[in-house]
Amino acid sequence: MLSVLVLIPILSAVIIGCLPDKTVSASRVRLVSLTVAGIVLLWNLFILLKFDITNPGMQFEEYLPWNETLGLSYHMGVDGLSILMLLLNSLLTWIAIYSSDKETERPRLFYSLILLVSGGVSGAFLAENLLLFFLFYELELIPFYLLISIWGGEKRAYAAMKFLIYTAVSGALILATFLGMVFLTGASSFAFDAVSTQTLSAGLQLLLLGGIVLGFGIKIPLVPFHTWLPDAYVEASAPIAILLGGVLAKLGTYGLLRFGLGMFPQVWPVVGPTLAIWGAVSAIYGAVVAIAQTDIKRMVAYSSIGHMGYVLLAGASGTALALVGAVAQMFSHGLILAILFHLVGVVEAKVGTRELDKLNGLMSPIRGLPLISALLVLSGMASAGIPGLTGFVAEFLVFQGSFSVFPLSTLLCVASSGLTAVYFVILLNRTCFGKLDNKLAYYPKVIWAEKIPALILAALIVFLGVQPTWLVRWSEPTTTAMVASIYPLEKTIVSQVTVRY
Amino acid sequence: MVQAGESHTTKLPPSQHEFADIIHRLEAGGSMLPDTPENLMQIIGIYKAYAVPMDFYWRDLLYIAERVFLDPLPFFKYFLPGEYLQRHNHYAGDDAELRVWRGEASAHPELLAFIEKGETIKMPKLLHHLFHDRINMEFAEACMRAMLWHRGMGGKFDPYLDTEEYQANADRAIRAYFQGNPLMSALYKLFPDMFIEQCRQMSYYANLGLFWEVMAPVFFEMSDLYDEGKISSVPEAMNFLVNGIFAVANRPIYHHVYIRGECYEIVPKSKGFVWLYEAALPYVEAVFYRTAPFRGTKSYNAQAGQVPVEQKDFHYGILYADVFPVGTAGIPPTLLMQDMLHFLPQYLVDYYQGFCRGEEDMLIQLGISFQRSMYNVTSAVIQALRTVLCHPLDDSNSEHLQANRDFFEAQLNRFTRAEYNIRDAARLRDIQSREYR
Repeated sequence: MLSVLVLIPILSAVIIGCLPDKTVSASRVRLVSLTVAGIVLLWNLFILLKFDITNPGMQFEEYLPWNETLGLSYHMGVDGLSILMLLLNSLLTWIAIYSSDKETERPRLFYSLILLVSGGVSGAFLAENLLLFFLFYELELIPFYLLISIWGGEKRAYAAMKFLIYTAVSGALILATFLGMVFLTGASSFAFDAVSTQTLSAGLQLLLLGGIVLGFGIKIPLVPFHTWLPDAYVEASAPIAILLGGVLAKLGTYGLLRFGLGMFPQVWPVVGPTLAIWGAVSAIYGAVVAIAQTDIKRMVAYSSIGHMGYVLLAGASGTALALVGAVAQMFSHGLILAILFHLVGVVEAKVGTRELDKLNGLMSPIRGLPLISALLVLSGMASAGIPGLTGFVAEFLVFQGSFSVFPLSTLLCVASSGLTAVYFVILLNRTCFGKLDNKLAYYPKVIWAEKIPALILAALIVFLGVQPTWLVRWSEPTTTAMVASIYPLEKTIVSQVTVRY
Repeated sequence: MVQAGESHTTKLPPSQHEFADIIHRLEAGGSMLPDTPENLMQIIGIYKAYAVPMDFYWRDLLYIAERVFLDPLPFFKYFLPGEYLQRHNHYAGDDAELRVWRGEASAHPELLAFIEKGETIKMPKLLHHLFHDRINMEFAEACMRAMLWHRGMGGKFDPYLDTEEYQANADRAIRAYFQGNPLMSALYKLFPDMFIEQCRQMSYYANLGLFWEVMAPVFFEMSDLYDEGKISSVPEAMNFLVNGIFAVANRPIYHHVYIRGECYEIVPKSKGFVWLYEAALPYVEAVFYRTAPFRGTKSYNAQAGQVPVEQKDFHYGILYADVFPVGTAGIPPTLLMQDMLHFLPQYLVDYYQGFCRGEEDMLIQLGISFQRSMYNVTSAVIQALRTVLCHPLDDSNSEHLQANRDFFEAQLNRFTRAEYNIRDAARLRDIQSREYR
């Protein structure tokens, strides 16, 4: 059942890649890819319907022995932590393909790579084996590199190489940590269940947890490992930026919660305060730097750094409410970032610039881009956590759940949320409002194909904002179980050692 | 009145003015608008589209001035009675005192069809009104208020409104109007100035109504002549306007009010106020140059010193208007453009569909065509004034030609002033290019 989510995109990618070059037009390749992504999305919704929200454990598990010597098995499952991420991945893949140019150059390669990424990310979210996770985690590396370097902007080669180096380092750190976890614990395989870090000393646990945090911290990314992000997000074309910001960053936060919090429950509370401060610093840094940007896509990219800081804060807090908030934030952020990148892409395609000092008056009802501007306002509001939109639900849960544990960090994140409103007001004020210069404003009209992805995402943002149960119900039992497994700080082995001294 | 430009050869050295090309064109009997078939098609199409709602405007303006008058709750002032729809235009139809248009004297058939059904479906008049599926008189009233607000633009009509004679006439009419209405009569006793000022506004309703009563048949006739192939260039179109201006220059401007079957002459015909000086020129000055309800994106920030201190320096008329709607408020490019949209000739609809966003931004495209056409009307006024105040274009005396040039340069200097960013706001430069849409 779950394998469909992985196999269909990957097999389709192979088939599309092998299609005859001259006989199949770009628009037909796009249609085929869109159909495949649509089938995967529908299948994902079917799984969601069948998902037992009262069960905190893995569901729909699939197991196939693969390489017993290596401890590698094809072991898949889905729980409350991954179900929404899977849905986000398939939804944004469909949106990314839909929002792509019908006349994309080298379409077979382009859509194959997108489907490959989709299958890889789904595999990573589903994997119940560390090595299998790593394989899927690394599977998206080269496709993303190619997607940025071939279809990207002016500095795409630089951005893609930077992305490749950072992500490779991230992968190396994660692999080393996974190997360390298995070898040091003497586990018989890389299966999640087989690895128990509680038998290790506090020092070793902290060392391995450090590897996890750094590895996934690069992927999220957290300050100061973020410098690949603005370049990659900005240089990538809009559909790829949607996948980068909407899906790939979630792989980082998912990994941090799954492997950091989930597999190091003894030392997690020890590093919690540091992670909380780190999250708050990332949030503030992302917001402040976003304010200074003049390129709206770069501004949106920096906003991502800020919002990922909230997830780190929530994870660090380790309360049930905060973890529900973390999952909600991951999903909400995926939707919001996707719509923002899509809208920015439309603005750039129509107006020919992303510069704040050149954009103006796009709200103009006849010659401007009124619907796009209105949706930009809505997205900005959602990102700034305005009530009634999904961003508010997620941020409120994160802050409410974290405040009792880390009040200072939480307050800093709340302040960062306020700063989000500042830079979005700057963006909206300069882009949407003001004078539309009639010497320049001969912009082409926005066609329905460009509006539909944004309208779907906007509808979800509003719906989940007014009906937050649909956002949080899936993850609640799983996150509660995860929190239950965390050791109270006074019982952690580090504290015991400290008390003895 | 104005000679064809092609045969004219100037004896003066080339002008050094910023708009030298345009001045040479005016000296050759041309218009500020370049003479191209595309421009001609646009302006004639717009004249026709403008004339149909204008046929409603003038009738309703006179209805309000003559019948609604000082009704404190004039909810139905835009519901024009049949009497006024059937009212004969003095410049159209068989019984015209001067037949400018060969068509009917009563309301235009396209206008009657539109009033009947609007653009939606046949429904009660009130619903058409509330949905703005109607002729938007608000535009006409805004033009009237522009004339009222920019008082003192020359002529004798406006000073007359401050005379004791006018106040006495108005007083008689006001007393008669509120006879049997103690509340309004008492209010009039308490605030007489307010009622007199309202009466002045009514006089401007009449003034503008009488002005547009002339212009509607002029534009209809131009459209018909173009369709018949009898107008084939922009200067010909301009000359038709110039000749029309002179033909009706002495049409009386007056304000009569009908109360219970009796006529009260607030501004009597006997005062000798005439169309050219008391209506046409103030209208052009107020609406084309100074203020018009063309709410574009021109800034009105008084604190930043962007609003002129003197009313004469105002430059918010159609000749300066940025017809793009205001970004934030979503104000459409004026109700006039919406009105004209209903009556565009098919050739203009087809033309607009080939540019920019086609049907979606037709309001703006036709707004810019309207701007072109009003530059042509302004050219006609400038040429008419030159005929009155200066010399023939083919005058053999170089001093006379220099006087003509000085006149033209003085007129175009209005578009070159640096104060308040007037120079950049003027669209004269823009309309020289066909890419300006």
